[in-house]
Amino acid sequence: MPSWQDFQPFIVSGLALGGVYALSGVGLIVLYRATGVVYLAFGAVGAMGALIAWSLVNASVPGWVAWLVCVASAGVVTLGYGLLFGPALAKRDPLVKAVATLGLTLVLFGVMDLLWTTGGGQSRAITLPTDNGGFTLGQIQVTWTQVVGLGAGVAITVVTAAFLRYTKLGTAMRAMANDREITATLGVPVRRVEAAAWLGCGLLGGLAGLLLADLVALDATTLTFLVISSLAAALIARLRSIALTFVAAIVIGLIHDLLTPIQSLSNYRDMTPFVLAAVALLVLSRRRVISLSREEA
Amino acid sequence: MAGTAVRTARARPRPPLQKPGAGTLTRAAVVAVILLISLFALPELLSLYYVDAMTQVAVYAMVTLGLGLLVGRVGLVSLGQVAVLAIGAWTAARLLFATTLPYPVVLLAAGVVTMALGTLIGLPALRLRGLYLALITLMLAGAITVVLATANFPNGGHGFLGYDASSVHIPPIRRPSIAASDPAYFRYSVIVAALMFLLAGVHIKTRPGRAWAAIRQSEPAALAAGINVTLYKLWAFALASFITGVAGGVLAGAVHYLYSIGFPTQDSITLLAVVLMGGAYSLWGAVVAALLLQLLPAVLHNWGVSADWLTILFGLGVLQVLTTAPGGLADQVPKDLARLGRLLRRHLPSGAGG
Repeated sequence: MPSWQDFQPFIVSGLALGGVYALSGVGLIVLYRATGVVYLAFGAVGAMGALIAWSLVNASVPGWVAWLVCVASAGVVTLGYGLLFGPALAKRDPLVKAVATLGLTLVLFGVMDLLWTTGGGQSRAITLPTDNGGFTLGQIQVTWTQVVGLGAGVAITVVTAAFLRYTKLGTAMRAMANDREITATLGVPVRRVEAAAWLGCGLLGGLAGLLLADLVALDATTLTFLVISSLAAALIARLRSIALTFVAAIVIGLIHDLLTPIQSLSNYRDMTPFVLAAVALLVLSRRRVISLSREEA
Repeated sequence: MAGTAVRTARARPRPPLQKPGAGTLTRAAVVAVILLISLFALPELLSLYYVDAMTQVAVYAMVTLGLGLLVGRVGLVSLGQVAVLAIGAWTAARLLFATTLPYPVVLLAAGVVTMALGTLIGLPALRLRGLYLALITLMLAGAITVVLATANFPNGGHGFLGYDASSVHIPPIRRPSIAASDPAYFRYSVIVAALMFLLAGVHIKTRPGRAWAAIRQSEPAALAAGINVTLYKLWAFALASFITGVAGGVLAGAVHYLYSIGFPTQDSITLLAVVLMGGAYSLWGAVVAALLLQLLPAVLHNWGVSADWLTILFGLGVLQVLTTAPGGLADQVPKDLARLGRLLRRHLPSGAGG
């Protein structure tokens, strides 16, 4: 059994990872509540943004421009998809909407593999300027990127909660979460509110992609499927509570990284989000409700 | 077949068997011709490269059949079928290395073990419906992939896992003695696949098929009609897992060597994409889907086109199917052909039959 000393650095990295999962999870929930879409291409748009940023940095474009482009491109792709397919699928089953975003995932996946081939064992990396600086907490080395990861998670969670609570647009989104038709009859410009949700979710996807590319790895497959981890956090919160998503994301990030020094479990640490989400879903759905509405499981 | 099914009180006499209509006969003839061609003509006509590709088509036709049953017949979307296939392949490979059992027995065992595991996983997951079920299968598939990456596929080593990291000379997974060559193994896979299609067809035509149709329409209504919803959903899961497990067994012999990297989670998504594109509502759709998934990449590879274009095509295909053509290609193409025929007849001058 490893000593307490061995665990310390992983607490920090776990919190950073959890923070990024949290901001992804919040993005997913906002979009789901506003449009009923579980956006499974969240990781793919982030991955593409990160790859674009990598190419720009390699073409000696200033870093901050590349990072902005990364976040913006993810937002634009998501918004474009939302405008094109959102209305067409608006009245379909949530399952159909989710599967349609898998179509987008495949398209993006193919494009990324075409443009940024992974042959030859070359590995790409994004380094943010925050990687170099840092401070020591006790005996643990903390980089600013890790601080940004956790900080962004906290900030996005708080800001989104306040946004949904206090602004007009946020109120409209909450209304849409309850009933799209009634909200439309009340004079809310439904399409515009949905577009805002798509854009916001996409921007968060780009941000998550950038941070994860630095904290984990810049690789299309890895980043695309990291969405599953943030989705796990959102699922534990039953795609509803933002606060619960934050807590779940932090717990997932922490457990994942804290398993690293334990020899026997280290190889299985990637199962953390899946197992936690599966258990949570099964426990939460113990009370089986049969209803005629197709909305809820 | 439906022995364990809910027994209803009314013991209505069975309607007399209807004589098969012209449509049924034509369909049977078409199936027979296709089977004969693939059994006797294809192995002779095709190069070994395409024989291998067609063997993969036969294997994946079973996988798409299983997923098509779940999606099209019962309305359950599973995003973890490739993990199920991996379980089947793992079981078969382990048995093939450990025993000298005849190949059909191994296939059956792979199917049964996969069925047991699939049902075990399916039982709690069936509390969930629709979106949540799809997402939990994605999660479980991710978990299985992680386990497989650590455990690895058997390579002739000892112990339960049968994996020996130090072995340099990895023995190939054996094939049945009657089907050692590639063309012979292709015939073998086609026959196994045909049997699986028959199994699925029988289910669809009898009581489980009708129960599934009712569940797909509306679960509460099916429940109210006295259908044991949980039983039949589980039955569908078990059947799909069995078929996929058998496919895994055939796959093990087809490729000789198995690696955990060959079963990525991403493939489960592609699988769902081609099943939807092929058409989840008909058995033909499964064949079309398997051709899309395995023959098309082989053709493109031959032409020097990157397989990434195919991924993009599948993505667009899913979006197209979901927005405009829910029946998929198996439904769409005959309709389009009929429409084209009508158009031609209308525009061609007399003599074309009007």
